[in-house]
Amino acid sequence: MTAEPRAFLTIDHGAATTAIACIGHVAGAWRLLGNLAIPAVADVERAIELLQGRIAAGDPRIAAATGISAATGVVAADVLPRVEARSRRPGRLAIVAGSDRSLAALTACAARSGWHISGASVQSTDPLAMTRLLADRSVDAILAGADDPPGADERGALRELAALVAAAAARVPTVPVILAGAMSEGLSAFGDMNGRPGEVLLGPSARADDGWPLVQLLIGAALAPDDGRRAVAAATQSLADVLDRRVETVVLGHDAAVRVMAGPAGAAGSDDGPWTAIVPTAAVAPDEPDDSVVDGVGVWMTIAADRHRIRDRMRELRIAPWSDAAGDGAALRMAAARAALSRLDVATAAIGAVVPPDLVITASGAWTGVPAPAVALAVVDVVRRPGASQIAMDHARLLGPLGAIGDAAERRAVLADLAEDLLVPLGTVVTPAGLRAGRSAGTLRVHGPSGDGSLDLIPGGLELVDLPPGESATAEFKFRDTVRLGARGRHFAIDVTGGLGGLLVDLRDVPLRLPERADRRRDLLAAWQGALWAGGDVG
Amino acid sequence: MTLSADLADLGLVAARTLLASPIDVVFKLAPGDRPLVGVGESVVAGARIAERLRDPTLTELNLGDDALHLPGERVAAGELLFEWRGRWRIAGGQVHEPLETPVAGIVRDVRPGSAITLSAEGQAMRGVTVMGGPARGRLALASARDGELRTTGLDVGSAGTILVVGSRVDAETLTRARAMGVRGIIVSGLASKERRDFAASEKRQRAALHRLAPFAVLVLDGAVRRPLSGPVMAVLAALVGHDVAIVDDPPALVVDAPDALPRPAPDHVRIRGGELAGSEGRFERLLGPRRFAGGVQHEGALVRLADGTLVAVPLGDLERYV
Repeated sequence: MTAEPRAFLTIDHGAATTAIACIGHVAGAWRLLGNLAIPAVADVERAIELLQGRIAAGDPRIAAATGISAATGVVAADVLPRVEARSRRPGRLAIVAGSDRSLAALTACAARSGWHISGASVQSTDPLAMTRLLADRSVDAILAGADDPPGADERGALRELAALVAAAAARVPTVPVILAGAMSEGLSAFGDMNGRPGEVLLGPSARADDGWPLVQLLIGAALAPDDGRRAVAAATQSLADVLDRRVETVVLGHDAAVRVMAGPAGAAGSDDGPWTAIVPTAAVAPDEPDDSVVDGVGVWMTIAADRHRIRDRMRELRIAPWSDAAGDGAALRMAAARAALSRLDVATAAIGAVVPPDLVITASGAWTGVPAPAVALAVVDVVRRPGASQIAMDHARLLGPLGAIGDAAERRAVLADLAEDLLVPLGTVVTPAGLRAGRSAGTLRVHGPSGDGSLDLIPGGLELVDLPPGESATAEFKFRDTVRLGARGRHFAIDVTGGLGGLLVDLRDVPLRLPERADRRRDLLAAWQGALWAGGDVG
Repeated sequence: MTLSADLADLGLVAARTLLASPIDVVFKLAPGDRPLVGVGESVVAGARIAERLRDPTLTELNLGDDALHLPGERVAAGELLFEWRGRWRIAGGQVHEPLETPVAGIVRDVRPGSAITLSAEGQAMRGVTVMGGPARGRLALASARDGELRTTGLDVGSAGTILVVGSRVDAETLTRARAMGVRGIIVSGLASKERRDFAASEKRQRAALHRLAPFAVLVLDGAVRRPLSGPVMAVLAALVGHDVAIVDDPPALVVDAPDALPRPAPDHVRIRGGELAGSEGRFERLLGPRRFAGGVQHEGALVRLADGTLVAVPLGDLERYV
């Protein structure tokens, strides 16, 4: 065995599925040799053997050159080095505040920090209920906060609240406590903290810099550095640096969704690192599918199902997410994924409101097995903003493990080699806004290497232009009226790149308006999806 | 016996533990509840381990400076919460309800106002959720593994038992079972509507002044109708007549059977989802990536069903018991 490995494994231990990929050093660069996804509860070692065996069977020469196989056959599963990320179940954060106003601000921060939350304020909750909330054995951390300086409505309550929190925390000494904003003045109530196993941290107010510093602190307290959801942020930043583009990553997980926006180093606003939000309420399959979740899924269903049925299926998805992924189960997953993305979009409106990214990357166990163009459609159905973006999928789920590489330079070097392999181009989506209803909004001419083509732009529709992966073209739009497409205007020439879904010209409303009647809505969604998903019209 | 499958590939099938041990059972406490056991104590099934306070109230008391008091400590008026300006806030009340452990074991941890953790004797069959509980009773079969229990199927002879009711049960039957003195129900699936209706009934019962007899519903699989798995049913059938317990944290059936319990063949698999949900058979081999209904591509596996039919199933739809 050589000192420098010629191949390594990435393993993303998700809550629902485990994604394994084998990376080999081929022709002077790191390349993705193969990947596999299995249920999270299956045997990873056997899956590695299977993957290595498939690579060796597919190309024995590369397998031998990268050390995946030797003279005696495929090497054992534990021979290749591994880079791993692991998504752990979000913990519960109990939040207490001196006023309802502060509680709302703290809750808004915590909700995008990778925590399940429960909260109470002195204004609306008695000390007994607050103690019960803090001492509950399901609580993994406590956040007590106030404005800095404290507001008039909470100033008088802070010292008593500090005494209450310190006493409750004494019952659960292993639970860390975060005192945010003016609550940090209550630190003395905790007395001698040397013998306390759980940390007591001081944090900024929830209102400082729109709450982002507190969000970062809470993410650090919620997730280990090798947590896949946290590591995705580092990988997105490295990718933005490598590609020199603004990159947005959207990961829909079983326990939480992640949204990251990163610009290349040196670009305006990139000094503070990527904007990261980890939102457990936007999980594909929340713990308890309440009415809002069920109704949200119902909006996107392409098969008929009443609320009880959807709720039952969502519970099943929660319990065994790897199961029932074919047939109408696939339709349910896509609806659940769209609903989760919609919740994420609402919870991270601040990220969505910034300048549109050049590249949107998505990853999710929910996309496993689904045709790539249908994934692109799912994203543009929900994340709607005027402009043009390229969409790609992290199909092998490499971003988590590669983001867990601690050395930023090493991470960038690996990602520079792997960028093309890890991103499956789904296509370019062009979404003009402000179209007037009518027979034609204008014309599109595509000038590409395989010739020119033209298209009439019909408002309300979704136009597909065949543009294979790797091909670039110029899309020339001529609208009858002024529209918004990045800027306002009538004539636009946009450089577009191809993908498995080609060029998608999305002439539907921004935001998307769907029929109220369920049957009409289902038919419309199925018609849009049917163009991109052969055989997906089950039910 | 000879195995028809490549056992190595069986590792790719989701594994469920049929019976796990050891098991830590947690009993939640709230401020004001009085733990009656200490760490290291051995308790028998049915022992009173705590008194739960009904309708706790908040009072204030000046305890003086004679002694050092700590949060969680008990005084005559109740449990100390925190001290503020020389006076202690106290959780107290008049009505207490006993909390009895349905399992024997050793107390591992006691945190006033939070929880008691018990290292339980025996083995646990994990489910996905428990409503009500904890409870203890004699195990009895009320229907086949793919059957269901209706109100007409209940009689007073079932009082004191924990009934295995097969694939599903409705809220009305659960309510009636509780009223007739049944201690628990074990079912494969409980639909969300039935769950909601029964939870509402439970809430009304608990709001009443009189104490409720213990009653628990253990859901083993999920929310849709699906027969109990064969290996699970074999274990339950072997336990008929034995005392068993249902606990809610973790959601599980706890058994302390002296005899060896039946185990499934290593290649026995159950189809959990899809059109063949509930069917069982033997794992033949891995098929590799396949296109399945709905235009999706997944890893497939070949399964020989009990009637000899060979079927291709998405790997994720299979589960096995270990």
